Amino acid sequence: MPEPVIVDRVTKRFAGHTAVDALSLSVPSGVIYGLLGPNGAGKTTTIRMIMDIYEPDDGSIRLFNDVAGGRTHSARIGYLPEERGLYPKMRVLDVLIFLAEIKGVTRRAARAAALQWLERLGLGDWGMRKVSDLSKGMQQKVQFISAVLHDPELVVLDEPFSALDPVNRQVLLDTVIEYRRQGKTVLFSTHIMEHAEQLCDRLCIIARGKKLIDGSLADVKRTHGGKHVVIAFDGKQGAAQQIFGDRRLVSKVEDFGQQAELELAPGADAQEILQALVSSGARLSHFELASPSLHKIFVDLVGPEAAIAAANPGTGNDRGHARA
Amino acid sequence: MHKVWAVIRREFVERVRTRWFWVSAILGPVLFAGIIVFQIAQSLGGGVRHIAVVDTGRVGYGRRIIEALGPSKSIRADAATFAPGVFDSLAGLVEAKQLNGFLIVDDSLPTEGKAEYRASNLSMQTIEELQRTLNRVIEKARLEGKGVNPEVVDWSQALRVTLDQKKCQRGACTSESAGQSFVVAYLISLLLFMAILLYGVNVMSSVLEEKRDRIVEVLVSSLRPFQLMLGKVAGAGAVSFFQFLIWGVSGRIVISLRGPIARALGADPSQIQDITLPHIPFDTLVVFMACFLGGFLLYSAMFAAVGAMSSNEQEARQAQQPVTYLLMISYLSFIGLTNDPSSTFAKTLSIVPFTSPIATPVRWAGGSMGVGELVVSLAMLAVAIVGVTWVAARIYRVGILMTGKRPNLKELMRWVRA
Repeated sequence: MPEPVIVDRVTKRFAGHTAVDALSLSVPSGVIYGLLGPNGAGKTTTIRMIMDIYEPDDGSIRLFNDVAGGRTHSARIGYLPEERGLYPKMRVLDVLIFLAEIKGVTRRAARAAALQWLERLGLGDWGMRKVSDLSKGMQQKVQFISAVLHDPELVVLDEPFSALDPVNRQVLLDTVIEYRRQGKTVLFSTHIMEHAEQLCDRLCIIARGKKLIDGSLADVKRTHGGKHVVIAFDGKQGAAQQIFGDRRLVSKVEDFGQQAELELAPGADAQEILQALVSSGARLSHFELASPSLHKIFVDLVGPEAAIAAANPGTGNDRGHARA
Repeated sequence: MHKVWAVIRREFVERVRTRWFWVSAILGPVLFAGIIVFQIAQSLGGGVRHIAVVDTGRVGYGRRIIEALGPSKSIRADAATFAPGVFDSLAGLVEAKQLNGFLIVDDSLPTEGKAEYRASNLSMQTIEELQRTLNRVIEKARLEGKGVNPEVVDWSQALRVTLDQKKCQRGACTSESAGQSFVVAYLISLLLFMAILLYGVNVMSSVLEEKRDRIVEVLVSSLRPFQLMLGKVAGAGAVSFFQFLIWGVSGRIVISLRGPIARALGADPSQIQDITLPHIPFDTLVVFMACFLGGFLLYSAMFAAVGAMSSNEQEARQAQQPVTYLLMISYLSFIGLTNDPSSTFAKTLSIVPFTSPIATPVRWAGGSMGVGELVVSLAMLAVAIVGVTWVAARIYRVGILMTGKRPNLKELMRWVRA
C-alpha cells in the first residue's frame, strides 16, 4: 500500500515571507499523523497545499502515489478546514448531502450516510434544522461529519479539537481512533501537544515553515529523552521553587503551578528530589519518573516564544490567508 | 459534471426557498392584474369628467359646445351663468373636487380660435376631446357665417377618419400603434435591466456568502473554482428563468380571465376585448430570451468576480458600481434607441457586447434591425462572454481565498495573469 501523502521539499511563499520552507514529510497508511507547530508555523498552509487549495511554489506533493492534486482525489479524502464554515441558512441535512455530492457521492447514499452520522454524534433530531440554529460545538460536529461522510481513506483535519468542549472533544477523539482502527489514515494539525500525545502514531514538528523533527512518537521521545520527573502538588508546595532551582538536581523546569515537569541534572537521583520536597513540607499527589512529554520536547525545540503561543491555544488564527 | 450539477441544484433550491423569491413571483402577476383592473375601471366611466362651461359672450357658443359634448361618454358639461365672481366660485368647486374643471369661451371664439380651460388635473384625454369638440363648433360657426347650410356641415362632420396603424418589419405587417411599440420597447429594456441586475447581484452575494462564511475552502478542495462559478451562474440563471416562467404563465391566466374580472366589476365584457395588450411576436420573444441569457452570463461573471474580490457587503457594493454603470448605459440610452433606432448611435449600442443585451432586443422589436445585424450582435456577445468569463474566473479563483484589503487594479491584473 503506497503512502497516502508524500510532501517533497515543498516551499510556499507569500508576499513578504516564506510560509513553508522546503518541507518534506510522508504519512504512512493506517496511522494517525500529527502535524505540530506553534501558531504561524505553516501547518495550515501545508495542509492547504496537500488539499490542492494552494499550489506550492517549489517541490511536489504526491497523494496515493499520484502527482494529480487533492481535488482529483477528493472522493478519497476528507477535509476539515481550520476556518470552519457551513451555509448558515441551509438545513443541516441538505448541507451534508451537498458537501458529499460535490465529492461524487450520490444523493441517496449521501442522505443515508448523513442520517447515520447525525445519529451517531447525537445530532439525530437536528437534521431538518437550519445550521444557524445549532451551537458552535454542534456546527463543528456537522463539519466533521461532512469530512468523513463519503467514507474517505484519508482524513485531513486542521486543528480539529480547538473550540470544543471536553465532551464533544472526546466524541471526536473516539471517532478518530475508530477511524484508524478501520485501517484509514488520519492527518491532523494542532498546536496543543496534549491532543497530539493522546492520538499520534507519528508526528512532525514544524516551526517557521521548517521541519524540526519527525518520526514515530516513541522515537521522538527516545531521541529527545533525558530523565524526567512529573510532579503534581496537592496544595502546599513547601520549598519547591528552591529545590527546582537547584542546578545540581534539576537542569530544566516546566512549572505549571500545580504541576511541574523536571529534567534531571546529569547524575542526579530522582529520589533525592522527592525526599527534599517532602521534608520541606510539600504535599504531593503524583510523582513519576517519565519520558519527556511532547509538550516539553516541543518547547525545547521551538523555543520559549512559541511556548507562550502554545500555552494559549485560544489565540490562534493569525495566519493562513493568501497574500498572493 | 455531477459536481457542477450539485452546485446548480443547491443554488436553485436554496434561492427558490427564500421568501423574496415568492414575494416577487406573486408581486409580478398582482401588478399585472392591477393594470388590467385599472384599464377596465377607466373604460367603465369611472373616468367621467364633470365640467362647467362659462360663456362670457352673447352669441351662445357655450350652449353649442354643451350640445356638441352631449353624446360624449367621458365628459359631462353643464352651463354656468356668467356673473361677477363666478370664476372664483367655480375654482372653489374644483378645489372641493365637486367639479373637474371649467371652460371659458366668449364671442371671439370663431375669429380668434381661443378658449380657456381651468382644471385641477389636466388629463390628456379630456384636453384632446375638448379640443376636438371646440374645433367642430368653430368650423360649423365659420361655415354658417359664410352661408353654408348647417345640415350640410353636420353631414360633413359626421364622418371622421380612423387611421389603421400597421407596423411593417422584416416583410410582415402587424397592427400595432406607435404607443404600443413604445410600451413594448420600454418593457423590454426595463425588464432586461432589472433582471440582469437583480440576478447578477444574486450571484455576487452568493459568492460573498461563501467567502464570508468560510465555506469556500471546503468547496475548492473538491471543485475547481471554475466549476463552482459555472454552477453558481447557471443556478442563478435557472432561478431567473423560473421566475419569468411564473410571471409569463400567471400573466396569461390574468389576461384570459379579463372577461370575468370585467363582469365582477360590472362592465360589459365585450367592451373589454378592446383592451389589447401589445402584441409581442415570437421572434421578438426569442431575441429577448437570447439577449437576456447572454447579458446575464456576461454580467453575472463580472458580478461573481466582484464578489470574489470583496470581503464584505460594503466593499462589494462599491466594487459593483462600475459594472452596474456599464449596464445602465444601455438602459439610459433607451430614448435615443426608440427615437431613431437606425442611427449610428443605436447601431453601435447593439454591437458593443456590454450594451447589446438591452439595445439589440429594443431595436429588433422596433423593426429597425436586420437579421445580419442581429447575428453580428449575438456573435460579438458570445465572444465577449467567453473572454469576460475567462478573466472573471481567474479573478474569482484567487479572490475567493483572500481576505482583508480589496485588491487594486494592479493586483487584479496580476491575478488574471497568474
